[in-house]
Amino acid sequence: MQPTPSSSAQPTALEKVIAFVDERVGLKTLQAKMLNEPVPGGSRWAYIFGSILLFIFIMQAVTGILLMFYYVPTADHAYASTQYIIHDVDYGWFLLSYHFWGSTAMVVCVFAHMSQVFLWGAYKKPRELIWLVGLALFGLVMGFGFTGYLLPWDQRAYWATTVGVEIMDKTPVVGDFMARFLKGGPTPGQMTLSRFFVIHVMILPAALMGLAGLHLFLFRKAGPAGPFHGSVEELKAKSDYFFPRQVWKDIVGMVTVFLAICALAFWEPVVLLEEATPDPGDYHPEPEWYFLFLFQMLRLKIFAGEFGQFLGAVALPGAFMAFLAALPFIDRDPERNIFKRPIALIGWIVVMTTILIFTVSAIINREFLD
Amino acid sequence: MQPKLKSKVRAADREIGEVTRVIMDPLSREVSHIVVSLNGSGERQVAMVHVQSVSDHVVELRSAASEIMALPAFKRDDFVTTHEIEIAHLDENIHVAPGEVLVPIPELEKSVKRRTFFTNLTHAIGFLIGLPIAYPVLRYLMVPMYQPFDNSWLKIGNVSKIKQDDVGVQFKYKKKVKEAYLPEAEIEKNVWILKTTSPVLEKIYQGKDMEFRDAAGNSVWVNKKEVPYVAFSGKCPHLGCGYKWRHHKLLGDVFLCPCHLSIYDAGGKVLDGPAPRPLDALPIKVSASGDVQIIDMEFKAGTKAQVRII
Repeated sequence: MQPTPSSSAQPTALEKVIAFVDERVGLKTLQAKMLNEPVPGGSRWAYIFGSILLFIFIMQAVTGILLMFYYVPTADHAYASTQYIIHDVDYGWFLLSYHFWGSTAMVVCVFAHMSQVFLWGAYKKPRELIWLVGLALFGLVMGFGFTGYLLPWDQRAYWATTVGVEIMDKTPVVGDFMARFLKGGPTPGQMTLSRFFVIHVMILPAALMGLAGLHLFLFRKAGPAGPFHGSVEELKAKSDYFFPRQVWKDIVGMVTVFLAICALAFWEPVVLLEEATPDPGDYHPEPEWYFLFLFQMLRLKIFAGEFGQFLGAVALPGAFMAFLAALPFIDRDPERNIFKRPIALIGWIVVMTTILIFTVSAIINREFLD
Repeated sequence: MQPKLKSKVRAADREIGEVTRVIMDPLSREVSHIVVSLNGSGERQVAMVHVQSVSDHVVELRSAASEIMALPAFKRDDFVTTHEIEIAHLDENIHVAPGEVLVPIPELEKSVKRRTFFTNLTHAIGFLIGLPIAYPVLRYLMVPMYQPFDNSWLKIGNVSKIKQDDVGVQFKYKKKVKEAYLPEAEIEKNVWILKTTSPVLEKIYQGKDMEFRDAAGNSVWVNKKEVPYVAFSGKCPHLGCGYKWRHHKLLGDVFLCPCHLSIYDAGGKVLDGPAPRPLDALPIKVSASGDVQIIDMEFKAGTKAQVRII
C-alpha cells in the first residue's frame, strides 16, 4: 500500500491533519498491517464468523450500555424498570429485544465458528492456543447468557437461575461454596441480582475484551490456516489480502446478521412474564434454548439421583469441555482435510445430532406438561 | 544463506551491480528474488534460481550479464514492504541485512549485579500488596453467603380448604424478608399440605416421629406420627423448581415437577424421574380451629440427604 501522491502540489487541510496524526501514531502502517493480511487460498464465506462475532459483541455492548440508562438492578425495581424500558421508553422495546436476540445470534455464531474451526482442522499445530482461548471465550458467552437472563427479574429469569445455580452446586467439594458465592446467600434474592449484574456488565465484558484481543493476536501471530486441500502453488495463485474481498464478505455477513436480529426484535419482541417470586404458579420453568439440551438431558433416568445428577450436570459437560481443550494435543496428525478424518467428522455429527435431538425433544415435551 | 543487501552481484562473465532489495515468498517465507541495481541502467528482479552462490559480500549468478539485462525492469508498485503487511513468522526468516543493528545499553545498567534479585523482589512486593487485601476482599464478598436459620412459625391458612384425603393442596403464603439495606419485602412462597389416610401416613413416618433440629443440633419441633396433616416444602428436591399436583395417565394423582419430570406419590415418595430423595416434609402445627402453621425451611436440592439451607 503506497501512499497515493496528492494530485495538487499543496496538501489540503485534511491531508495535513492526517499526516500530523500519522507521523505520531503510524496509523497508515497500522492500517496496512491490519488490511494486508494474505488469506491463503483466498477469501471465503466460511471465514466470516469470527468477524461477525466481534460485530455482535460490539452491538451487545452498545445496546447493553443503553439499557443501563433505565435499568435498575434491585429486586424491587429490576422488573419495573425493565417493564418501563419495554413500554414507556421510546424504542426501549427495540433495544431490549435487539440485545436479547443478539445474544441468541451470538450463540448461533459461536457454534458455527467453532464447528468451522473444528471441521477445517484449524485447531491443530501451531494454532493450539487460539483454540484454547476460543474455548474460554465460548465459556464467557455462555456466562453472559446465564447472568443476563436473571436481570429482568421475571419468573423465567428467577427459575432459570434457581436451577442453573443448583446445578453448579453439584460440583464436588467447591459446589456449595460456589453456589452460595454466586447467589450471595442460600437462595436467590437481591444479592444474586447484584452479583449477576456486576458479572454481566463488568467482569465478563472485561474478560471478553481481553481474551478476544488475545485470540486475535494469537491468530495474527500464527496466520490464517487456509483451506485443507490444495498445493502450495494453487494456494498462492488464489491468495488475496484480508481487504477487500474478505472484508467485503465479512460486512455482508454482518449486515445479514444485523437485519436478522432487527427482524426478530421487531416481530418477536421480548415479553416479560410475571415478576420473579419463589412460587412458580402456572409457569413451567425452562432455560434459554441453547441450554435446553442440557435441561432435557437431566430428565433422563441415567442422570437420576445424586450421583446421576453430578454425572449429567457437572461431570459430562466438564469432561466434554476438557476433551475439547485437550483436542489439539491428542489429535497430532497434521492432516486437516475433514474427509480424511473420519472420527472427527463422525464425532461432530454425533454431538450436533445429540444436541439437536435433545433440544427438539425438550420442545416436544412442553405440550405434555399442561 | 540469504543474499545480503548491498552485496555485489557477479554474473557468469562480469560484475553487474548490487543487491538493493530482496523479495520474500509469503507462503514459504524464503527469499524468492533479489532486486539488482545495474549501475545506473535500472533495476532487475532476479529469481533465486539464477543464483549460483551467496557469500557475505558477493552474490554469484549462473547466467551471463546479457541474460540478466534482458529481464524486464523491476516494478516497485507490485510489492509492499514487510512493515505494511502481516505475515506470521516472516520477520524471523529475514536475514538479509548485513550484520546486526545495535542500540547501546545505558551506563547505569551495565554494573547492575543482582538483576535476578531485583526481579524476584519486584514479584515479592507485588505479592505483599496483594496478600493483605485478598482476605478482606474475600470476606467482603462472602458477607451474605451464610445466614442463620429462621425457626419461627408462619400462619399459612386453614385446613378447611382441604376437601379430600390424600390429595395435594397448595397453600400460598407470603414471607417477610429483609435483605441487607433493602426495605422489608414480602415474597410469595408455597407448601403442599395433605390430609393423609393412615397407609400414606405410615409410609411417610415409617413408625417414627419426625424431629427437626436447628443448626446447633437442638430440637426445634417434632411432627407426631399420628397427626394426619403433612406439609411438603414447595421446592422440588431434584433441582429446586416448583412442582404441581397433577393427574398422570399411568400413575394416577401425583406430584409432578415440570422441570425435569420428577414424579412423587401423595406421601412424597419418588415414583419416577431423576429426583434423588422424597419430598421434604416440614414442621407443621394444626390448631383445634384448623389454622395451619409451619416453619419455613428449605433444603438443598439434588442431594440424597436433607441439608437445610434456610
